[in-house]
Amino acid sequence: MSLNLTPASRRDFLSSATFGVSGLAIASLLQSEGLLAAPVKPDLKKPTFDVLPKPTQTPARATAMISLFMQGGPSHMDMFDPKPELNRLDGTKFQGEIKYDNAAQASSRVLGCPWKFAKHGQCGMELSELLPHTANIVDDITLIRSMYTGVNNHGQSIDALNTGKAISHRPSLGSWMAYGLGTENQNLPAFVVLTDPDGLPVLGMQNWSNGWLPSLYQGTVVRPREPRILNLDPPRELRGLPQQRYLEYLAELNRDHLSRHPGELDLEARIASYELAARMQSAAKEAVDISQETEATQKLYGIDQPATKDYGTRCLIARRLVERGVRFVQLYTRYQLWDHHGAIRTALPAACKKVDQPSAALVQDLKQRGLLDSTLVHWGGEMGRLPVIQNDAGPESVGRDHNTYGFSTWLAGGGIKGGHIHGKTDEFGHKAVENIVTHSDYHATLLHLFGLNHEKLVFLRNLQEASLVDKQPARIVTEILA
Amino acid sequence: MSPHLPTARGKRGQTLSGQAIFNVNRLPCKGSDPFFHGMIVRMLVCTVAWSATALRAADAVPEGPVTYERHVRPILKTHCLQCHGEESKREGKLDLRLRRLMADGGESGPAFVAGKPQESLLIKRLRDGEMPPNGKVLSAREIDIIERWIAAGAPTAKDEPADVAAVHDITDEEKGFWSFQPIQRPSIPAVAQTDRVRSPIDAFVLQKLQDKGLSISADAERLTFIRRVTFDLHGLPPTPADVDEFLQDPAPDACERLIDRLMASPHYGERWGRHWLDLAGYADSDGYTEADPVRKYSYKYRDWVVRAMNADMPFNQFVLEQLAGDELVPLPHANLSVEHQDLLIATGFLRTVADGTGQGADPKVARNAVVAETVKVVSTSLLGLTVGCAECHNHRYDPIPQTDYYRMRAIFEPALNWKEWRTPAQRLITLYTDADRAKAAEVEAEAAKILEERKKKLDGFIEQIFERELAKVPEEHRERVKAARTTPPKERTAEQVALLKEYPSADPQPGQIDLYDHKAAQELKKDDERAAEVRKRKPVEDFISVLNEIPGQIPATVLFYRGDPDQPKQAVSPGELSVLDWLGTAIPDKIEGLPTTGRRTAYARHLTSGRHPLVARVFVNHQWMNHFGRGIVPTAGDLGVLGERPTHPELLDWLASEFSGTAGDSQATVNPWSIKRLHRLMTTSTAYRQASAHTSQGDALDPDNRLLSRMSVRRLTAESVRDAILVVNGTINHKLGGPAVPVMLDEDGQVVVGIENLNGENRPGPIIPLNGEEYRRSVYVQVRRSRPLAVLDTFDLPTLDPNCTVRTSSTVAPQSLLLMNSDFVLGAARQLTERLNSAVGADPNERIRLAWRLLFGRLPTDGEQQSASQFVIDELARLTTAAEAITDPKQKPDPHQWAWTAFCQALLGSNEFLYVD
Repeated sequence: MSLNLTPASRRDFLSSATFGVSGLAIASLLQSEGLLAAPVKPDLKKPTFDVLPKPTQTPARATAMISLFMQGGPSHMDMFDPKPELNRLDGTKFQGEIKYDNAAQASSRVLGCPWKFAKHGQCGMELSELLPHTANIVDDITLIRSMYTGVNNHGQSIDALNTGKAISHRPSLGSWMAYGLGTENQNLPAFVVLTDPDGLPVLGMQNWSNGWLPSLYQGTVVRPREPRILNLDPPRELRGLPQQRYLEYLAELNRDHLSRHPGELDLEARIASYELAARMQSAAKEAVDISQETEATQKLYGIDQPATKDYGTRCLIARRLVERGVRFVQLYTRYQLWDHHGAIRTALPAACKKVDQPSAALVQDLKQRGLLDSTLVHWGGEMGRLPVIQNDAGPESVGRDHNTYGFSTWLAGGGIKGGHIHGKTDEFGHKAVENIVTHSDYHATLLHLFGLNHEKLVFLRNLQEASLVDKQPARIVTEILA
Repeated sequence: MSPHLPTARGKRGQTLSGQAIFNVNRLPCKGSDPFFHGMIVRMLVCTVAWSATALRAADAVPEGPVTYERHVRPILKTHCLQCHGEESKREGKLDLRLRRLMADGGESGPAFVAGKPQESLLIKRLRDGEMPPNGKVLSAREIDIIERWIAAGAPTAKDEPADVAAVHDITDEEKGFWSFQPIQRPSIPAVAQTDRVRSPIDAFVLQKLQDKGLSISADAERLTFIRRVTFDLHGLPPTPADVDEFLQDPAPDACERLIDRLMASPHYGERWGRHWLDLAGYADSDGYTEADPVRKYSYKYRDWVVRAMNADMPFNQFVLEQLAGDELVPLPHANLSVEHQDLLIATGFLRTVADGTGQGADPKVARNAVVAETVKVVSTSLLGLTVGCAECHNHRYDPIPQTDYYRMRAIFEPALNWKEWRTPAQRLITLYTDADRAKAAEVEAEAAKILEERKKKLDGFIEQIFERELAKVPEEHRERVKAARTTPPKERTAEQVALLKEYPSADPQPGQIDLYDHKAAQELKKDDERAAEVRKRKPVEDFISVLNEIPGQIPATVLFYRGDPDQPKQAVSPGELSVLDWLGTAIPDKIEGLPTTGRRTAYARHLTSGRHPLVARVFVNHQWMNHFGRGIVPTAGDLGVLGERPTHPELLDWLASEFSGTAGDSQATVNPWSIKRLHRLMTTSTAYRQASAHTSQGDALDPDNRLLSRMSVRRLTAESVRDAILVVNGTINHKLGGPAVPVMLDEDGQVVVGIENLNGENRPGPIIPLNGEEYRRSVYVQVRRSRPLAVLDTFDLPTLDPNCTVRTSSTVAPQSLLLMNSDFVLGAARQLTERLNSAVGADPNERIRLAWRLLFGRLPTDGEQQSASQFVIDELARLTTAAEAITDPKQKPDPHQWAWTAFCQALLGSNEFLYVD
């Protein structure tokens, strides 16, 4: 459809019909055409919000982020943070202070790590045998062994890492990114969440809520099953050709109606908006369609194996989204996948098996496509585990309780050092003791990589300035920047 | 990157201008004091207004002589006077409030050299960008005007007063602004097209059109008219029966009688009550923090508004009860009659704004915000002025000194007493009777008995668990563990504490019973349930939320320097804006004979005296806007300097005088302040009844249709989109009033109608049936600030900031996506299919005809009938083939249902359904 607009009507069209063009942009457009006549007076319109790309405050190292969120709390001392002391003291009474979450099942006996650690890559980073594929990318990652949130419950610690504070209903990291930076592809959502087919993580959809930011910035869920995107996909019976026919019929009705209302721009604009909506549908569908990927690529992500098929598919979709200009993608493992209070000897290897290969593949794939330099990849959960036994009912039953005082997370790409280890926990892995990285430090660093200042990315809320870090102490962890 | 994706990542950096999202320190910041911080933010909000000035500075320099009063002072007022005149400390000792004071100059010398702009300090400072400070700039045009003025010798319009205080705040020019003038009763103009004049409205409209060489359009067809007026007065589509009745009415006054019928229906109040709720900023939650607590009883105010509209409560009474209903009820506010309850409920108007005072927010900031926001609601809705802009300094554009802002606050502060604050929970008044209380005590005693038994059981269980767990402790420690446990926690020795830490399970706590003994925990739970069951027999205690004063508590209202409560200055008495001094009304500190101050009562009576120049103009303008799509003053919330000027000033005054009953010759004296009468006046006019088709002449001479040479085509409001869908598919539940229909987040994080049922991990549990509540009109759906209903939000539900004086109507792709794919619309299309089937059976032609009648009010043309039927036939054929390919009988769809649902959905998403001619 072409819109033959007269200058005067063009103004109406722009102010009513454009998808996501900000008021300011319209104003400058109109001004450049000399159309803003009339009185000298301020524009009293309420601010409008959009997801158009925004200039950064400082040069950006990263322009997109993929966060692989390991919900439940992966056991760092069994995967990333070797603690020979634990193995030496295995089964003995722990001498230090421990904060238990579950008193009834608590025990103060030390649990050694049942898995072997070895050095990998040129950097010689030590990882356990549970992560054979991650071992292949150690030279591309920074491993932070000193994460800290200090709030020992899942929900609160997730909130701290995901929204800046251990309280509910705040905007999530992805919403802040979408708000501060907009997105590159206006036919796709700015912030996409990929959930697990076996269930939502703790806190459910709060994890991708826009909180009190405008709803435009909420995460769009790409569901684990078809239809993968909400409201972007017609119901089964109308998918494909039937919807096309329905839209053609609708367009016919609307054109006929318009012919009885010549000159009504809003009616024309709505016809155009249906066309844009249809385009968004196909753009989004194309983006999540992994059948376009080669067999080799699918294999790299482990899509050919049952254990890694789902998670691998989601990692691959994440790459496709970022490639098409989506700003922020977050993947969640299922509800409490990593919450190994018991049976850690069998459950932890299974969880690792699910994510290890696809996570490593994502980094490798981004790198070979030249996207890793500008894409920040995050891998980590909301907590680690305790050095002592929980559920002391035999070797097959033992597990570990929560620990948010020291745990591990890795980052790759987007301006992050490769082959680097940052921070340290005590000799038992209970508490971070060196170069502690709090959730606020983590956020300040992320925003810095994206060319944003954590004190300046603010939103006016009920007449107060609110931000991701919200005046908590925060420092940019310069030691991990490439 | 694959070659077919060249654009997405490459474009970064070449970005379009986004909006101001970064905290650029435009104003000096006084450290981290939280309140001051909040104030700065408020000033920043205002700053947005100034910075945009440059954007629109395309005006030419005025023709004719430039004078200080008329041209220069307004510019200085906007940019300079706060620091150079208005505040007691004048920067650089320079005062710009009078020409002669400018000539006297400040520390650096005279501000100008008459006739020599190039040598004038003022021009230099402005051109160099030195002033105003902090990067703010005047537009080139504004500097040009000042330059021209100096070049012309810096003339004044008249002799300047000897005392600068005389012009300190308001000049004669400002007092002369149109909206502050008394409402005149203009004479009705004589026009050529007398046959088109049904009411004086038409004469005023025709006169403007004639002046432009335009004319009013022919009357719309009857079908168009009934659809227009039914959506306008009810927010709903007419039923086929309504349409038939009207089309078959041969009487010449069929339109008038239709309008009367519509206004007699309760749906009228639902629609027009909703318009008023926009102005009131109505919400069912407190907002402010993440929790966004629900206001359980706010719906009573919503229902009060709807009832008042339906009862045609006179507007003066409507205002009085909302501003001061509490002062019409004798104290104490207990044992309330229904009438007295209503008067108290009406004060909900002053309880709408976001409120953090019950949620642990900084009290000073949060209380001040509630008072400030409430003043904004009152001033934009009733006065049509942004009085709130004078909180920190004199209004930059309107003649509203900062003292006036605090005078207005003083009217409300005895009720919104920020020294003796009452949180939202403390504003509730119980409707419990004495009998209710006695019954409740009886029930509670019964429940207490059960809980006493429960406590005994609990103690027993804890002991049992302890014994069991103790047995697991190595024998040598048992006695010491036992002793440690029996020692009260505060008296335990370090050793005992360590011991219990080592054996935490040996110190079981009541909250942990389930971890040790599930059966015992279940038993206790049963007791809890029994007690809860008993308590259910208590009479339900109902409340109303009110605004009232506590007799004797009269806080002194003081002016806050720069809006900062930490810098209180002089005390201020209640009063009307000083630009309206000519009204001669005084708002007393205290009315004799009332237990409370009576300030709000006096204010309400003053506003509705019939002499107030703003109140009637503002209200009739709002009604006009809602009928015609644009106000006579298009900026309906701002009739001040920054607002637009009225397109038909005489018509506005005629309507205002007619409405308030101050016109000697009008019928208004019979029924003054009747809102229904005003609607009848507008909707029976030729201007309202004309067709909406564009004319080439109209498009050329008046492209925005400001002069009304035709009716404007309008999209349905958010509520009407949803309500109309429910009406046409037959699911609408027309129950009136009552508690808000709840909203919740569904599994996908969309806000839908439903009862929130989150499990322990905050995820939605099973859906709780709403039993038809989900089909109620949108006005009854909970207005939870953090959770706007998706279908309404997408279609431009107003954001409350703190209220909404003009709604926007957008056309964006998410609306199309919602109409194409949402569960709501698809479900509605299926229900419409069912309705067609049950009404007319399988005959496709009958179905199509009925669908057209339900959705568009008319029958399809032959062409439309044919193409609709062809669409269904084609769909059916294709879908039958598709269905045959599906072998699993359980999966096998019904091609008929598919095809007809697609048809219905197309109609529901069509412009003819979504727009009104």
